[in-house]
Amino acid sequence: MVESTSNILETRGISKRFGEVQALYKVDFSVRKGEIHGLLGENGAGKSTLMNILYGLYKPDEGEIYMEGRKVHIHSPQDSLKLGIGMIHQMSTLVPEFTAVENIVLGTEESGSRVRLDFSSARKEILKLSEKFGLKFPLDVKVKELSAGTKQKIEIIRALYRKAKILILDEPTAYLVGDEFDQLLKSLKVLVENGVTVIFITHKIREVMQACHRASVLKGGRMQGTVEIDKTTKEELVSLMFTGQNIDVTDSALPNVVPEPVKRSEKPICVVKNLNTRPIVKDGIVLKDVSFEVYGGEIFGIAGISGNGQKELAEAIVNPSIIASGEVVINGNPISNLSTIDIFKMGVFYTPEDRVYEAILPTASIKKNLLLGHHRDEAFLEKMRTLRWNRIKGVSKELIRKFNVKTPHEELEIRKLSGGNIQKVVFARALMNPIDLLVTHNPTAGLDMSSVKFVFEQLLDLRKNGKAILYLNEDLDELMIVSDRIGVLHEGCLVAIFHRDEFDKNRIGALMIGG
Amino acid sequence: MENSISSARLKQLWFLIRPYVFALGLAFLFTGVMLGLLGFNVWEAFKTLVTTSFSSRFQIVETFKKFTPLVLTTFAFAIPFQIKFFNIGSTGQMIMGGTIATILGLGISSIKMPSALAIILILTAAALTGAFYSLIAGALKAYHNINPIVSTIMLNFVAIQFTNFVATTPPWQAPLTGHPMSKELPEWMLLPKIFSELHVGFLIALGMVAFVYFIMKKTVIGYEIESVGHNLRAAEVHGINIKKTTLVTFFLGGMLAGLAGGIEVLGVHGRLVEGFAVTSGAEYGTFGTLTALISGAEPLAVPAVAFLMSILLNGADSLQRSLMVPVELVFLTQALIVILVVTMRERFKK
Repeated sequence: MVESTSNILETRGISKRFGEVQALYKVDFSVRKGEIHGLLGENGAGKSTLMNILYGLYKPDEGEIYMEGRKVHIHSPQDSLKLGIGMIHQMSTLVPEFTAVENIVLGTEESGSRVRLDFSSARKEILKLSEKFGLKFPLDVKVKELSAGTKQKIEIIRALYRKAKILILDEPTAYLVGDEFDQLLKSLKVLVENGVTVIFITHKIREVMQACHRASVLKGGRMQGTVEIDKTTKEELVSLMFTGQNIDVTDSALPNVVPEPVKRSEKPICVVKNLNTRPIVKDGIVLKDVSFEVYGGEIFGIAGISGNGQKELAEAIVNPSIIASGEVVINGNPISNLSTIDIFKMGVFYTPEDRVYEAILPTASIKKNLLLGHHRDEAFLEKMRTLRWNRIKGVSKELIRKFNVKTPHEELEIRKLSGGNIQKVVFARALMNPIDLLVTHNPTAGLDMSSVKFVFEQLLDLRKNGKAILYLNEDLDELMIVSDRIGVLHEGCLVAIFHRDEFDKNRIGALMIGG
Repeated sequence: MENSISSARLKQLWFLIRPYVFALGLAFLFTGVMLGLLGFNVWEAFKTLVTTSFSSRFQIVETFKKFTPLVLTTFAFAIPFQIKFFNIGSTGQMIMGGTIATILGLGISSIKMPSALAIILILTAAALTGAFYSLIAGALKAYHNINPIVSTIMLNFVAIQFTNFVATTPPWQAPLTGHPMSKELPEWMLLPKIFSELHVGFLIALGMVAFVYFIMKKTVIGYEIESVGHNLRAAEVHGINIKKTTLVTFFLGGMLAGLAGGIEVLGVHGRLVEGFAVTSGAEYGTFGTLTALISGAEPLAVPAVAFLMSILLNGADSLQRSLMVPVELVFLTQALIVILVVTMRERFKK
C-alpha cells in the first residue's frame, strides 16, 4: 500500500473482540480527503464495528487512529465530534417530537446563552448550510411527520452544523425509496466538492459502483483490500466480498436464486376478503378493505415502506382479534374466532418482523425458543398437561442438526447466536410441523449472504412442496427475486398486484410512496 | 481435559456467585463500621448474628418458624416478578388470609369435625382469600393497565384496617386484652407440632417450594409465565395470553401469601393478633420482597436465600436482646445487601 499524506483518516492494526467473536482483526483502513469512500462488506463483516470505533462508541483492543497524520485517541462520540467526525446512523436518531431546527441545535450549547437557546441565529446558519449543500427540508415541522429520506437530510445538516469534516453514513439507503437515492447521491457529490469527506457503508455493490471514488472491502473482520472504482469491476468486488463462498450474487448483493416453475394449486390456501383491522398500537395504521388470495406453490410478496400496514396484515392472519371486519379463510375455514394457538395448529406459522423483540425469547435457551408457539402441541404434553421436556430436547437436537444451527448445544441462550443462526432457529420453529401457510415478515433483515440464501431456499422449498407463502419485505430487490406475485401496500390499502412478468422496480417503487 | 473442564466449571460458578460475594462482603463491612462507630463489639455482634440460629435446638426451631412464612411471602413477590410485575401486596394478602382463617375458625369452632379437616378447610380458605385479594391487583393490571405497585400498596391499607376491625369488634374480639386481638381458636384446630415447637406449617411451606418448582419448571403454564418474562411481545405473538398469564401469577403469589397468614394464625399465635404478620420489626411481606430481589426470583434460589434471611433475622432478634443493638441495624444490612446485589449483578453483567 502506498503511504499518502492526503489521508485525512487512517487506522492501523485495529482489532476488536466481543466475547468469542473476533469482530475486527488488524484492520488497516485509510480515507483520502474529499472522497466518497465505500466501506463494503456483507452483514457481520465488521463494518459497523469499525465505524463505531471511529465514532468513539467502542474502544479498540489494539491499533491506532490517525487524523491528518496526527495520532488521536477517541474515547467518546464527543471526542470524535471535536475531531470533526459526524455519523449518520442507519436508524434515525432525531427526537421525533422536535422540529428540524430543535433537533439540530439540541446539544450545541455554544449557540446563545446557556439558559436560552438562540434559535434565530441557528436558523440562519441551518438555512445557509441547507442552501449550500442542496439539502432542503421543512424547518418547523415535527420530524415524526417527515419521511426517512428527509430525516436523513436533517441528520447530515446536523453533522455539518457541528463542523463535521468527515461524514460516516451507515447503510444510508436502507430506508430510501424511489428517487431518494439519486437525491442523496447528488448531495454527497456537492459535499465532497466542498471539501467534506464521506465514508459510505453498505452491503450493496451496485451502490458503491454508483456513488464512490474508492472502496474498501471487509470480510469476516479482516480488510480484503481497497480498490479504485474506475479501475475495478463488479466481479472483482464480488470476489473480494465473497471469496470462498461460492455463491452466485446479484449486483444488489443478494443470492441469485431462480425460482423453478411450479404449478400453483387450483384453490387458494389463504383468502383475505375486505379485511379491515383495528390499530395494533394507539393511533396506529389500519388496513382498509384489503383482499387477495395466496395459492399453494406460490410466494405472494407484499411490498411497501415500513409502517404502511405490513405488520397489521401479518398479525391479522395469526391473531384475528385485531380484525374489525372482513374475513380471513385458511383452507376453507374462517379463522375470525380462533386463537393464535388454534391457527398454528391449522398449519399456519408466522415469523415476525423484528427478530430480537418479537421472534425470540433472547434470554431463554434455544430449546425453549423452539417450543414457543408449539407449547400446547399434543406431542409435547403429558396427560397431566405437564411438558415432555425429554421429547422437546430430542426434537431440538434434531432441528439444530437439520437446520445446521451453529451452537454447542440446545441449552445455549439464543441471544449468544449470530443473527443468521437465530433466524435458522426461527425458521426451524416455523417449519417444525408440516405447514400450509407461512407468513414471514422481513426474514432476511441484517443477515449475511449465506443466511439470506438459507432463507430464500426455505421459502422456495415450501413453494416447491405446494405450500403458500405470504412474504412481507421492505426490500423490493429481495421481493422481486423470489416472489410469484407482489402486492403493494400503501397507507393500509393494497393498491396493486403485479405478476412476475410485470415486475418493474420503478413502477412498484412509485406506488410504494403513493405515486 | 478433565481438569480444564472442571476449572471452567469453577470459573463459571465463580462468575455466578461473584456479585453476591462482593455484595455480602461490602454490606457486612459497612455494618461492621457502623457497629464499631456506635461502640459495640463488632466481632461479638457478627458472631451473634450468624451463629445464634445454630446455637440451640430452640434457636434452630425459631429459624425454621421464621423461614415458613418468609419463603411463602418471597414466592408471593417472586412469581409475579417472573413477568416483571411488582406484587408489593403480600403483606395485605397475608393478613387477609390470616383474618379470614380466624373468622372461619371461630365460626366453625362449635362444629364437631376431625381436626385435620378443620385445618385443611381453614388453610384453604386463607390461601384462596390471599389469591383473590391479589387477583384484584392482577385484574386491574390485565384489564385496565393499572400499575400493580400502586394497587397492591393501596390494598395493603385496606387489609390492615379490615384486620383491625375484626380484632376489635365482637363477636371476634377478645374482650380482656390491651392489644387488638381475637378470641383464641380452640386447641384442636391449631397446627400440630412436628419437632419441639416447630409446627407442621414448616412442612407445608416446603411442600409449596416443591409445588412452585413443579409449576414453573414442568407445566405449560410455568413455561408461559417464563416466556412472558423473557419477552412479552414474542410470547404474545406466539399465542400466549398475556392477560391470563398476569392473572395466574397474581393468583399464585397471593395464594402463597394468604397461606402464610393462615399458617401464622394456626401455627404460632392461635388467634388473630394485630401485627401478627410482623417479625423482627417489619412485615414478612417486606422481607419477602427483599428476599425475592436478592434471589433473582429463581424458584430454587428462593428457599436458599429465604433460609439465610431467616438466620439473619433470628440473629438480629438475639442481637437486640444480648448486646442491645437495635434490630433496625439489621434492616440496614439487609437493605444494603439488596442494593449491592442488584448493583453488583449489573456491574458484573459484562
